[in-house]
Amino acid sequence: MSEALTDERTELAAIARGDVDAFARWASAVERSLRLSLQRFAASVDVEVVVQETLLRVWQVAPRFVHDGRPRALLRFATTAAHHVALGELRRLGTTGALVALEDAPEPAVDPRPPDPHLRQAIVGCHEKLPDKPKAALAARLHSRGAEDDAALGQTLGMSLNTFLQNVTRARAALKACLEKLGIDVSAEALP
Amino acid sequence: MTDELLIEQVVSAHRERSLDGAVKSHPAWHDLDEAGRERAFAAALEQRALEAALAKDGVTTTVAAVLRRITQGR
Repeated sequence: MSEALTDERTELAAIARGDVDAFARWASAVERSLRLSLQRFAASVDVEVVVQETLLRVWQVAPRFVHDGRPRALLRFATTAAHHVALGELRRLGTTGALVALEDAPEPAVDPRPPDPHLRQAIVGCHEKLPDKPKAALAARLHSRGAEDDAALGQTLGMSLNTFLQNVTRARAALKACLEKLGIDVSAEALP
Repeated sequence: MTDELLIEQVVSAHRERSLDGAVKSHPAWHDLDEAGRERAFAAALEQRALEAALAKDGVTTTVAAVLRRITQGR
């Protein structure tokens, strides 16, 4: 058995035992792959909902999950689960036209990428240079970790919802511009 | 509200939950047309890449939202 497969089985066993830290590592490693596998659904369902519901299902199923001996077993399972969650959302929304078009579509294989320390260093450096208000708005989003809506986050900063959203958008645009000066295209980094 | 601001709301990982605990679509997502939804998808990919780099533990707001739900459900 390869070292990577042994590591994967060890991590999976930890997740199955209810180790939240192990699940956090796995989810962080596969989130981009999972999200990209849902690209063809982007016009028809709220992909953020599908990603979150899928990760929750994986956590719930993990104690009973049986590894098939092939690499990235849990990611392959999660990709299939995400496909079913997305189709369920389509049915719930009554988007039958899109359902016919998407139901039999092949699921793309997207491999996880390890974190790039140089990219991380560049992003952190550019973040330091952001103007105060966009930096504060982006920080509020990050620190909230999805717990609060944007209106509440804006209120904590003394900003209206529109102003808060404009500042988050400016922060991302300024980060992208700074990274482009360093020869890094965030769009290309985010996509396959 | 402009499409840009609707998209920015959809990029957030914050989602309300229904009474049965299911994650609900963001209201702003419903106000976008197909092109706007695809732009929101692309912007979310970029945002999560930036978040993963900026968070000390590499955890994005999406994963953090799921972890919070898991740990609160215990």
